[in-house]
Amino acid sequence: MSEFQESHNSNVSHNSHSTPPAKNAAHINDDLLSSLRPPTLRWYLLAFFLGAVVAWGLAAFTYQMMNGMYVTGKNRPVMWGFYITGFVFWVGLSHSGTMVSSILRLSQANWRRPILRAAEAMTVFCITVAGMFPLIHLGRNWTFFYMIPYPNQRGLWPNFRSALLWDMTAITAYIIGSSLFLYLGLLPDLAVARDRTSGWRHTMYGILAMGWRGTSHEWSVYHKASTLMAAMIIPVAVSVHSIVAWDFAVTVVPGWHSTIFPPYFVIGAILSGVAAVITLMITIRKAFHLEEYLTPLHFDNMGKLLLVISLLWSYAYFVEVQTIWYAHEPIEWEVFGFMSGKYTPQLLVMLLGNSLLPITCMCIKRLRRSIGVMLVVSLLVNVGMFIERFLIIVPSLSHKNMPFAWGSYSPSWVEISINIAALAGFALLFTLFAKFFPIMAISDVRELEARKAEVLLGRARVPSIAGEE
Amino acid sequence: MEMLGIFSNIESAAGAVDGLIRAGFTEAQIDSLTSVPYPDGVLVRSERRSWFRWLALGGGLCGAAAGFGLAAGTAWLYPVQTGDKPIIALYPTAIICFEVAMLCAIIGAMAGMFLEMGLPALKKRPYDPAIAEGCIGICLSIHPGGEAVECDPGVRPEECIGGISSISAAEQRERAEEIMRAAGVLRIIGEEQP
Repeated sequence: MSEFQESHNSNVSHNSHSTPPAKNAAHINDDLLSSLRPPTLRWYLLAFFLGAVVAWGLAAFTYQMMNGMYVTGKNRPVMWGFYITGFVFWVGLSHSGTMVSSILRLSQANWRRPILRAAEAMTVFCITVAGMFPLIHLGRNWTFFYMIPYPNQRGLWPNFRSALLWDMTAITAYIIGSSLFLYLGLLPDLAVARDRTSGWRHTMYGILAMGWRGTSHEWSVYHKASTLMAAMIIPVAVSVHSIVAWDFAVTVVPGWHSTIFPPYFVIGAILSGVAAVITLMITIRKAFHLEEYLTPLHFDNMGKLLLVISLLWSYAYFVEVQTIWYAHEPIEWEVFGFMSGKYTPQLLVMLLGNSLLPITCMCIKRLRRSIGVMLVVSLLVNVGMFIERFLIIVPSLSHKNMPFAWGSYSPSWVEISINIAALAGFALLFTLFAKFFPIMAISDVRELEARKAEVLLGRARVPSIAGEE
Repeated sequence: MEMLGIFSNIESAAGAVDGLIRAGFTEAQIDSLTSVPYPDGVLVRSERRSWFRWLALGGGLCGAAAGFGLAAGTAWLYPVQTGDKPIIALYPTAIICFEVAMLCAIIGAMAGMFLEMGLPALKKRPYDPAIAEGCIGICLSIHPGGEAVECDPGVRPEECIGGISSISAAEQRERAEEIMRAAGVLRIIGEEQP
């Protein structure tokens, strides 16, 4: 017998005066919990493929551990390569999920509801993947615990003056904060899943739901806590990416030592995160047949957000380049010249993906509502963002202040494999999450449906007032 | 003792709440169980003051102190003299303080939320899975008879006991069942049979 039971109680509606647009509660539960059905062969094949790519990445990492860091393309003067590019990229991706969710929650934008869960889960998995890159980058990985501050006999100590330790603290705070934020949103939905399942799933959801019954007091406290958490997680998210920017900005490396770096990084992070949320929305919509819930309106609104962030990113990039060009400080200009000369195709793809394409396409409503266009634009934004991270890191290190020590860098197969495995690892985590947990915020979506419901007032039918206030 | 009435829609549930209050039960004795939130007063009024935010604040303050201890304490225990610069650098210490403070504030908010909600529930209380399907539960706490306590300003809402408490618990239960049936209850669940 299937452990997931669909409701046959379709005559039960929580609102007897529902008009056709408002969906029946049981119907919404059926739709939004459909992802929890027993896996199909296609799901197993996908999970196996992603698992195989992750295994390949682990093999590459083992090879690196056995043979030392020389198997990477890193060499003097470029000691930060694809791993740190990956780290900054994934931290950036993680940025937007919780941030978008929090901002939309605080601004009470109703269209946010079907998007929240995917965005919040994305944050948790992205920051988990990001957190692994500094450890992979370390070399002699078995001594990673030297970074952890505790009294020791080794004569080593964590130096809190280093921006890298700020990173570690901020990422730890963000991983825990984002996970709790995700769990908070899941709580009422876990209770729904508990009530609709049997066997081990029922036990698991029962434990995770902690006895949630949906009393008026529970809902009241839950809403206050959601708002408070949303307000608290935003400064943490901003601080995480500012700190990642300070990894670069507090050095005296040409091209990095810039006051605009933290806001520029934050904007870039939000840009890549918004694009990733759009990509995930399209994937979820297609995979779980959620066309009724993720409508063109959602893509339209996300497209507008993408447009605004892309304009901001373009402005920040222009300001950065314009300042270097106008000041014409020799070493800064040398780095810029090297970057634009050696990496011209990458630079052009970056400008196309992060600026030109989103700005032109997202201005047109028809394109914002086109799923195909949104998929292409959102994917290209993230390709552009990965290149942007690479172009920030590598050219500056290649041409630092001492011309006799200039060099170049190209990633080895080990670094490329580990980066691809990171992408597969993220996809695998998300695939597993979608199989075990509701991928869309059921209570949020149902609350929206309750808002859509109309009630009879005198001779008129007026919108009901059900809401979270 | 608690009893739970399951209603198919919000209007009949609201009708039952009105009937129960008219019969002498207080708002504090009645609670609603729903799978979507409704504004206060649509079904029941829970004008309780929330205190969990204080735990978030407390967590934040403790976190700030812990962050200071971590960054400044480490520098103090393992000093690195760099030129004429102070051993405890304020800027990095402030960053660590902020991160640890926010982390502890978030943990405090979550812990406070669960404490205030009374979760995880240690005792099995009346519940029906139909609530997840959109049904409305109206849960009534029945006092075992005795003196009524008016809901005066000085009395905490949960300490109010309606005038109906002068009759026995069994009679109160019978009266409540009658009211719920009149309002169109689907079924009634007692505390003994969750």
